[in-house]
Amino acid sequence: MTSSDAVSVGAPRRPRFTDDRLTTLSLIAVFVALCLFFGTQTPFFFSSANLDTITSTLAIVGITAIGMTLVLITGGVDLSVGSVAALSGVVTSLLWLKGGLPLGLSAVLGVGAGGLVGLINGGIVTYLKINPLITTLATFSIVRGLAFVLSEGQTNLLSNEAFNFIGRGSIGGVPFSLLLMIALYLAFLFILRYTQFGRNLYAIGGSPQASRLAGIPVSRHLLTVYVISALLASLSGIINVSQLASSAPRAAVGLEFTVITAVVLGGTSLSGGKGTLIGTIMGVIILRTLDNGLVLMQVSSFFQDVARGLVLILAVGFDQIRLKLSRIQRRRA
Amino acid sequence: MTKRTFSTVALACLVFSMILAALVPAVRVSAQDACPTAKDSYTIGFANLTEDIVFTQLVREGLVSTAEAMGNVELVLADNRLDGATALANTENFITQGVDAIIHFQTDEAFGNVIMARARAAGVPVFAIDIPMPGATFFGADNYYAGELAGAALAEWVNANWDGAADAMLVLELPQSGPIPAARMQGMVEAFQANATTPIADEMVFRLDSKNTQEEAFRVVSDTLPAIPEDARIVAVTINDGTALGTIAALEAAGRGENSMVVGQNADPSGQEEMIKENSRYLGATGYFPENYGAQLLPRVIDVLECRPVPPSIYVEHVFISAENVCEYYPDNWPEFCAQ
Repeated sequence: MTSSDAVSVGAPRRPRFTDDRLTTLSLIAVFVALCLFFGTQTPFFFSSANLDTITSTLAIVGITAIGMTLVLITGGVDLSVGSVAALSGVVTSLLWLKGGLPLGLSAVLGVGAGGLVGLINGGIVTYLKINPLITTLATFSIVRGLAFVLSEGQTNLLSNEAFNFIGRGSIGGVPFSLLLMIALYLAFLFILRYTQFGRNLYAIGGSPQASRLAGIPVSRHLLTVYVISALLASLSGIINVSQLASSAPRAAVGLEFTVITAVVLGGTSLSGGKGTLIGTIMGVIILRTLDNGLVLMQVSSFFQDVARGLVLILAVGFDQIRLKLSRIQRRRA
Repeated sequence: MTKRTFSTVALACLVFSMILAALVPAVRVSAQDACPTAKDSYTIGFANLTEDIVFTQLVREGLVSTAEAMGNVELVLADNRLDGATALANTENFITQGVDAIIHFQTDEAFGNVIMARARAAGVPVFAIDIPMPGATFFGADNYYAGELAGAALAEWVNANWDGAADAMLVLELPQSGPIPAARMQGMVEAFQANATTPIADEMVFRLDSKNTQEEAFRVVSDTLPAIPEDARIVAVTINDGTALGTIAALEAAGRGENSMVVGQNADPSGQEEMIKENSRYLGATGYFPENYGAQLLPRVIDVLECRPVPPSIYVEHVFISAENVCEYYPDNWPEFCAQ
């Protein structure tokens, strides 16, 4: 769905292949091409063990990417997600190990601590009118520092079978973290497509001023979006801690860049007003497949970095081309 | 003794004392001439690698406590933040502040020459911790030997528990950091292959870039495991404890924990905690004892400033720390475990 889909009532009949559908189709084509390439290069790529590996390690980037998609749709950005994920893990471990609280409650409070950062981000962006890039760059640094201060730089081990199930367990052979991610995608797909709130986000990303004039409570929506982004990043932090059975203040370093790459690759525009969660999940899967295939092929890690960088440039390049094409289409219309 | 003889001896003693008293400053002056950097007290700059990891925090704490104990050393602290340019800026700040010597713990080899050129021009001696710089006195790990200790211990365990044969080896390294950590990895791999009854075939040795994080170790090990048969017995050698924890997490998450064993480096508190767990897959790690760096290093810095000979490289003692001897070295860290 695009901003034009969201705000134009009584618009002419949709063309058969909308911009978003073309994006999704091209992403599916890229994914299939990647699978075929890696499948011919390494016999292990199509093994069930490898499918397990890929599916069980999607959730951290995948869940964080939901929040990032929402933020980017509104025309903002959230660079603090990696730091927030680290903070939630650190807070959870400290409350459990040193505070003596039950682990479940500690995890909830850990997620809550992350949500608080989202509230601060949203508050600064909406009420102080400071650019989201600057705001979240600042909280990126502050929150990471806070994680180090709280943990005193220490890694804490969290061995608890029930807790480790979040990141490592499976139900009917499907990783629990994947099920959680799918549930969240379905929920947010519904919100984006079928609720006023979701449609308003596209409108805000398309033109905040027009949205204000149309009576949309822009500030409240933006605040909510940053809180959602932080809460989802915190949840990813908890999954990370559960998967590694330990929390560290250096956790999730670079998560923000991986997530932004995936979301932009999935067709969400950095300029706001455009993006879909279907595209985002495809972006997440493509990036994960690329990483997995390169490791299986034993390609040097330096070339892996090059490949990821190229994907980011391609993603942003495609985003610019799409923008130009849609402008041309609008002019013609 | 007659009164006259006593007076003569006393007078002679007095004259001798006066001559001696007059000579001593001259002797002292001539000693300072011979060693112009010798002073009653010293200011020494210490720029840490980063303040974000336990290992380097322990190095800093050890230096601070040793300086306090010595009484005549004042430390000026800085943080290199894992960045060569910051290390260079810290060097210039130290020189501006007039420090007598600099202890650098900095990671960027490329900046080593520039830092040393600045320090040489200012006449300030430099000690380099763990990562050598040209012209600096090296202090720190004997990386190859430290690697050998862990590799040999792992081979010994495999010989005792798996009839001397493992099927695959994961090597969690850090290629971007150059030859120093590479020597550590080389030591582990070569010592394992030399000491295991049956060395692992080259095609089953998987070299993986850990990027020095738990998550990356988890990811690359997870991605590699599908290429290793399900019932294979896997050993892993890792660059440090954090990487070892990520590796173990990936092995356990894939249900391969029972058929694996891991060794690492550093033996920091998180690594120690992992190795003393019941049925732990972390055999142990080579200890570097960063908490003792200060006590060993600061006296050598004073030696240089007072013109006493110091070898160009000073290596710390290494011991392979495992659940069996952790209480010998770190009894206070694990009182419950050590009481058993």
